[in-house]
Amino acid sequence: MKKKNQLFRLMLEFIRFGCFTFGGGWSIVAQLQRTYVQERKILTDRELMDLTSVAKSLPGVMIGNVAMLFGYRQAGILGGVVCVLSISAPPFLILSVICLFYEAFRNNLWVSAAMNGMQAAVVPIILSAALSMTRASVGNLPGLAVAALCFGLYLTGAVSPLGLVVLGGLAGLAIGEFYERRGGHGAS
Amino acid sequence: MVLLELYWSFLLIGFSSFGGLSMVPQISRQMTEHGWMTASQVADILVIAEMTPGPLGLNCATFAGMQTAGLPGALAANLGAMTPSLTLCALAAVFFHRFRNSRIMVDLLTGIRPACLGMILGVAVTMSADGYFPQGQVNFTALAIGLLDLFLLMKCKLSVPKVLLLSAGLGVLAQFLTTV
Repeated sequence: MKKKNQLFRLMLEFIRFGCFTFGGGWSIVAQLQRTYVQERKILTDRELMDLTSVAKSLPGVMIGNVAMLFGYRQAGILGGVVCVLSISAPPFLILSVICLFYEAFRNNLWVSAAMNGMQAAVVPIILSAALSMTRASVGNLPGLAVAALCFGLYLTGAVSPLGLVVLGGLAGLAIGEFYERRGGHGAS
Repeated sequence: MVLLELYWSFLLIGFSSFGGLSMVPQISRQMTEHGWMTASQVADILVIAEMTPGPLGLNCATFAGMQTAGLPGALAANLGAMTPSLTLCALAAVFFHRFRNSRIMVDLLTGIRPACLGMILGVAVTMSADGYFPQGQVNFTALAIGLLDLFLLMKCKLSVPKVLLLSAGLGVLAQFLTTV
């Protein structure tokens, strides 16, 4: 019974997230951070960053991957499936309706004004989540270097997101090995 | 069987892409090859996908499905696009959960976390360039809304949905002021 309640709660929460996932998959991270890290404190910034990294490095729709990873963490495979289906339901329903009269929608001045306003909110949403996860993600000086390097490489567009994750992983192994040999703890 | 074809196409799109705009060439090819959408419809859906909640991949799935086979088509295409999350990512979740305390995994994540942070900041910069400074000009309305939102999120801890709704309202207000 407790399990059922938990799944039901996850379903409602992810339906709500699904209504507000603008700006690709990234705003989902901001929503999880606000709800689970800051408000309910059942997830740490570091764990959220881990979920995000894994989700981004797998093929598929990012919000689906984040939903699966978080749902699995909370309530096993069934939890993951519930989260994936719940988060994709609102966009599905909203766009299905819009498709029926999409030209009118696309050309409506007031609709596009409202959408322009929302578009302007996407960067602050992503940025605020990233900034509050900085401490938990960077950890030490080599970490800061990795972050700066990946930031630069992303902007040049020369390396794909998967490539950046692989690069980060290799750097992590090297950093870990280095601190291991020195006999100290690298990851604070 | 058009439903099966839709499912299969979006399954392929899902497995061969890593979200966001990297899906566009794949989607574009699958849609035009099957004759489900014309090139200009693909361009339209990109605009609409940006305007409605949900990621590009799912929105394209819904749109293509609706165009070709109505609601069942949209459902089949969405399931296809979500299949990687439901299969491969589920496996990854199990694996990740089991090994997350092993030394190698801890080391890997120590490097991947900052890499991912760098990438998110990169995304924010590229999006800012497009949104606030389109074609080298400053979009003052968007910039003002963006700065206000950042303040509300960081200092006042306003929730994401509230910020989005407020921004939509401000967008309409700005339009109203310029039209009147």
